[in-house]
Amino acid sequence: MEWWRHFVAAVLPYFSLAFFVAGLLYRVLYWSRAPKHLHWELFPYPHTLGEQLKEMLTEVFTLKSLFLHNRRAWLPSLTMHWGIYLLVVWPFLVLAGLPLAAPAGKAGGVLALAGSLLLLCYRLARSEVRRLSAPVEYLNLLFIFALALSGLQSGFLGDAGAVRSYLLGLARFTPEQPPAGYLAPVLLAELFLIYVPLSRMAHFAAKFFTYHKVKWGELHR
Amino acid sequence: MSAAVKKVFDDYRVLSDEALQPEKPRVKEFLAAMKKSLQRDNWTFWLPYVLSLEACMKCGTCGEVCPVYQASGRKEIYHPVYRADMLRKIYKRYFTWPGRLFPALVGAEDLTEEKLNALAENVYRCTVCRRCAVACPMAVDNGVIVREARKILDAIGIAPEELKENGTAKQLQAGNAPGINTAAFLDMVEFLEEEIREARGYEVKIPVDKEGAEYLLMHNAGDYLAFAETVMGAAEIMHAAGADWTLNSPQTGINDAVNYGVFYSDAEFARIIKAQVETVKRLGARVLVVGECGHAFEAFKYLILRLIPEKERPFEIKSILELIDQWIKEGRLKLDPQKNPEPVTFHDSCKLGRLGGMYEEPRRILKAACADFREMSPNREMNLCCGGGSGFAIMEKGNFLEFHMETYGKLKAEQLKATGASIVACACSNCKAQFREIIRYHKLPMRYAGVSELVANALVR
Repeated sequence: MEWWRHFVAAVLPYFSLAFFVAGLLYRVLYWSRAPKHLHWELFPYPHTLGEQLKEMLTEVFTLKSLFLHNRRAWLPSLTMHWGIYLLVVWPFLVLAGLPLAAPAGKAGGVLALAGSLLLLCYRLARSEVRRLSAPVEYLNLLFIFALALSGLQSGFLGDAGAVRSYLLGLARFTPEQPPAGYLAPVLLAELFLIYVPLSRMAHFAAKFFTYHKVKWGELHR
Repeated sequence: MSAAVKKVFDDYRVLSDEALQPEKPRVKEFLAAMKKSLQRDNWTFWLPYVLSLEACMKCGTCGEVCPVYQASGRKEIYHPVYRADMLRKIYKRYFTWPGRLFPALVGAEDLTEEKLNALAENVYRCTVCRRCAVACPMAVDNGVIVREARKILDAIGIAPEELKENGTAKQLQAGNAPGINTAAFLDMVEFLEEEIREARGYEVKIPVDKEGAEYLLMHNAGDYLAFAETVMGAAEIMHAAGADWTLNSPQTGINDAVNYGVFYSDAEFARIIKAQVETVKRLGARVLVVGECGHAFEAFKYLILRLIPEKERPFEIKSILELIDQWIKEGRLKLDPQKNPEPVTFHDSCKLGRLGGMYEEPRRILKAACADFREMSPNREMNLCCGGGSGFAIMEKGNFLEFHMETYGKLKAEQLKATGASIVACACSNCKAQFREIIRYHKLPMRYAGVSELVANALVR
C-alpha cells in the first residue's frame, strides 16, 4: 500500500496540477484561436474596462443573472459558488500562514457541501430541470459534494498547520506524507483538478469568451 | 393543415413534405454537413456556436424568459434547452470523445430520421429573439444553435419555401421578395403620391431611381403592399426635411431591404447583401437609409461589417429612425405631438433593440410626435418577442399562424393590453405583420402603426 500512498501524496499532486493547467490552457487557446465572427452582440453592454469589470465581478460574486431570471436556483448556486471561491483561496491563505485560513477552509467546505446538496435538490425537485439533465449534471454536483464532505469529515479543511507543511513540502519538491486520514480529500482534490478541464466545470473559462467575445462584442454604441 | 402532411414533431408543420422529404434517408448527409459546420471555415458564427454547444449548465434559466416556452404552458418540447439539445446530443455523440465513450452519461444520442424530422421542425419554433441569451448566466445563445441547425438543414436542401424559393431566390431574381416588377412598382409609387395628396392636401413627389441622390431609402418591399402608410410616412418625412432622396425600382438591382438569409443561411445572406451593396453603388447614393425593417437593420448595420470590407461599401448606412431622430434634433422636422393625441406604446423589435441597440432613438421620436407615450413592460432588452421574427410573420402554412398567435402572440397581447395604449408603434415589418394578426386574433381594441406614419401625422408644415 505504501506505493499507493506515495503516488497519491507525492506524484499525483504534480500530475493533476499540470493536467489542470495544461487542460485549461488547451481549451482557452482553442477558443482564443477562433476566427472573428460576424457581429452578434447583445445591447446594451458595458464598454469600458471599468464597466466590464464591474459587471463581471457582480455576476461572479452575486450571480445576478440567476437572481433576476431564475430566483429558485439563485441561493443554492450562490451558496455553492461562494464555497468554491473560498476553497480556491484557502490553499493560498494556508500557505501564507494566515489565521483566517482554517475558518475560511471550513466555511468553504460547509458552503460547497450545502450548495451542491441544494442544487441537487433543485435539479431533482424541478421536473422541467430534471428532464433537461443528463447523468453528468448530477455527477458534477456529487463530485463537489463528496470533495467538500471528505474535506470536512477528515478535518483536512480546518487543519491549517498540517496542510501548510504538506503544501510547503510539495512546493519545495520534497513532498511529505500527510496524515493518513487526509489521503481521501487529497485524492478527491486531485481527481477534481483532472476532471475540471475535461468537463463543463471549466465554464468559468468559457464565460470569458461568451461575454467578452460574443455578448459584449466590440462595437461602441 | 391538410391530412396528407405527416406529423413529425407537434401539431404544426412549417416545412412542406417537398422541403422536408420526411421519408427520405438524410442522416448521413446531415452528419456530413454538421461536421463542416463545426470547422473553423464556418467562421461567421463559429465561436458563439461552439461555446453555446459546450457551455450550457442546464440550469433552466432560459426557459424562464422564453416567450414560447412560457406561453405554451411550459411544454417541454418548447424549452430552449430541449431544442438546443436536439443538436447538442448529436454534437456530443458524433463529435466529442466523452459522447463517443460514455453516451448515456453525457446525454449523447444517435441521430435517426425521426429525430432529424423533429429537429428540422423545432428549429422553426424559435424566432431567434435571443432573449434567453440576455438572461443566461453563461451567455449561452440558443438562438445561434437554432440558426446553425437551420444552416445545416439548408445545406442538405431543407428550408421553408417562404424563406428560400419565395424569399432569397425570388429577391435575387426579381429584385424584391414579393416579386414586384418595375412597371408595377412605378404604378404603386404613383398611387402613393395620390394617396398623400388626397389625405394631406399637398403634393409630395416621390423620386425613383435618381442617381447620385444623397439618400437612397430602401424599404422592406413587402411594405409597399402591406404597410403603405409607413412608405408614405417616410416619403412625407423626406419631403418635409427637404432631403435629396430617392427610392429605387427593381430595374436598378435590388429594391428590397430584406435579407432572409439572416434567418437561415450565411450563403444566401451574403449573396443578397452583396447584390444590395452593388445596387447602392450603382445609384451612387451617399447614405443608404434602411426603412422600418428589423433584420435588414441588423444585416446592414452589423452583420455586413466583417463580410464586406469597408472600401467596398463607399456609403453610410443609417436606419430611418436614426435619421428622423437627427432631423428632429436639428429642427429640420417640426412636430406637433397634439396631432397624435391617442396613447401610444412602443414595441422594441428584437433585431432593432437587443440585436441593434436602437433603444433611445424611437423613444425620443415618439415623445416628440405623440402626446401620450407609454412604455410597455418589460421593455428594451427584456421586451418580449412578438412572434413575427425570423420570418414567422410570413409563415402561415397550415395552421402555423395559430402557433405564433397562441404562443408569442398570446403573451404579447397581454402585454399590449396592460399598457392601455390604443396604438402600438414599431419599426419592423415582421412585427407589424404579427401585430396585424395579434390584434385581430386576440380582439385587441387598438391598432399598430409604423413610427414614420406617426411622425408624418405630427408634421407641422
